[in-house]
Amino acid sequence: MDVQAEVIATIEDLFMEDVSDMMDEDLFDAGVLDSMAVVELVVNLEAKFGIKIPVSEMGRNDWNTANKIVEGVKELQNA
Amino acid sequence: MKIENMLTTIDNYAATQGDQAVYDVLGEHHTYADLKHDSDAVAAYIDGLNLPAKAPVMVLAGQEYEALVTFVGLSKSGHAYIPVDINSANERLTSILEIAQPAAIVAVDPLPIDGLDIPVVEPQKLRIVMQADVDYQMEHAVSGDDNYYIIFTSGTTGKPKGVQISHNNLLSFTNWMITAEAFSAPKQPQMLAQPPYSFDLSVMYWAPTLALGGTLYALPRPVIEDFKQLFAVLPDLPIEVWTSTPSFADMVMLSDDFNAEKMPQIKYFYFDGEELTVSTAQRLRERFPDARIVNAYGPTEATVALSAVAITDEMLASGERLPIGYTKPDSPTYILDLDGNEVPNGEKGEIVVTGPAVSKGYLNNPEKTATAFFEYNGQPAYHTGDYGIMDDDGLLHYAGRMDFQIKFNGYRIELEEVSHILNLSDMVESAVAVPRYNDQHKVQQLLAYVVPKPGLLEQYDKPLKLTQAIKATLSDDMMPYMMPSRFIYRDELPLTPNGKVDIKALIAEVNKS
Repeated sequence: MDVQAEVIATIEDLFMEDVSDMMDEDLFDAGVLDSMAVVELVVNLEAKFGIKIPVSEMGRNDWNTANKIVEGVKELQNA
Repeated sequence: MKIENMLTTIDNYAATQGDQAVYDVLGEHHTYADLKHDSDAVAAYIDGLNLPAKAPVMVLAGQEYEALVTFVGLSKSGHAYIPVDINSANERLTSILEIAQPAAIVAVDPLPIDGLDIPVVEPQKLRIVMQADVDYQMEHAVSGDDNYYIIFTSGTTGKPKGVQISHNNLLSFTNWMITAEAFSAPKQPQMLAQPPYSFDLSVMYWAPTLALGGTLYALPRPVIEDFKQLFAVLPDLPIEVWTSTPSFADMVMLSDDFNAEKMPQIKYFYFDGEELTVSTAQRLRERFPDARIVNAYGPTEATVALSAVAITDEMLASGERLPIGYTKPDSPTYILDLDGNEVPNGEKGEIVVTGPAVSKGYLNNPEKTATAFFEYNGQPAYHTGDYGIMDDDGLLHYAGRMDFQIKFNGYRIELEEVSHILNLSDMVESAVAVPRYNDQHKVQQLLAYVVPKPGLLEQYDKPLKLTQAIKATLSDDMMPYMMPSRFIYRDELPLTPNGKVDIKALIAEVNKS
């Protein structure tokens, strides 16, 4: 499974935003994510990839761009 | 046990359990004796300002202890308070000032606007005032039908509406909540104080806690907005009662540590402010098998809630939309058809609430008051605008909205108001706000369909840049919680036969899958 494509598809599916050309943009500043949107995103990514995202260690600057999300998912898959 | 007066009840606890904590902010706590001392000092100071009797006072505050002190102090000096949130858009503050004409402002946090012609008690000043030792006699405190607080909610034309809640309204709610079997509120409850004071869900924690001599545990906003801090603080909160929107519970359930093993002290969950879905309640039941999960329902206009029920395993197993509760005994609630006739059990109609918790109406807004408030069977009554169904067991079920009001993350939002504000931008030709729902009937996202001014879209290398630019033009006008996250650009918007933007068609389009 191509993690990057899946992450982009998930974000598009949940928030109707194609982030493929803004992979390093802060998704909170861009208005794509807010704290409640993160809830939807985390729940969906966990289900899709069979991972458990350590939300309690997430600071404001973690998981805030599409690339960081992709990297985060990959790391958890290999953990 | 019922209380007869909120203020004397709070003061009595200073005498009978003065050393007991009333308010705790991340370990910094304040006792009932402190609250009496400090609120007496504030009341004496406010009296000294010689404001017109009973005139409302705006209070800008977050979750600080000083917010509670100010509210109680103002009530003691006979003034209703208007709680407004620290994250308020300037336009919202200005509108509220225009509509409410408050006699003064207490700024627990710095006020972002200046040049006002009314007294403003600045943050530093307030903290100095609180230190004075005064011998205060309550002689003209808020009582009876006097307004206790005024909470502003979204209006359809961009003008917010101030719901006036009297001391009698507050007593009806509080006495129901502390005695109703549905809540089974514990003695001296230790409660989470998370929802902001500008939101009447806050009354669901402070009123019963103060009435029963318990302790409030505040979570400051910056902590809530940062998962790392939130989950560092949460396990150590000695709370027994959790009051929040279901959305906030969904958020904390992202952490596996939010469970009965790690937080065995939590025994009650009180939900209100938006729909509690089966999915949220079910996951909570799995995390906290022995906790009582209470679903409450009601509009701000009928004082926080008019019905509540403890969710049972049978209700969860049925998979159907959860009931919204048994109605308050002192507040006869009816299901009426469009002609105002009561419909039989099992049939859908508008939920109409009557009785002593119904507000006297919107502050300085006789037109909107006359539309929504009336008299029914000799009692004050309010049109909720919600569809509901009463079953044969007296349980109320929610069945949708009659208009374009939505609940999003617990906030009550009129789509027309969001659309109205979007159209204020000089970059926008026309625009409407449209909610996107998930499979549990819950609003997941607020979108905007926008026709930009001609040629504008081409000036930006991608639509998102234009969206950011438009949002920047609206930041003084739009409350952050109302701002649509995504803007969808169109050349034109669908119209109804009488020429209005067809919001229903767009809602259907967004939610088709």
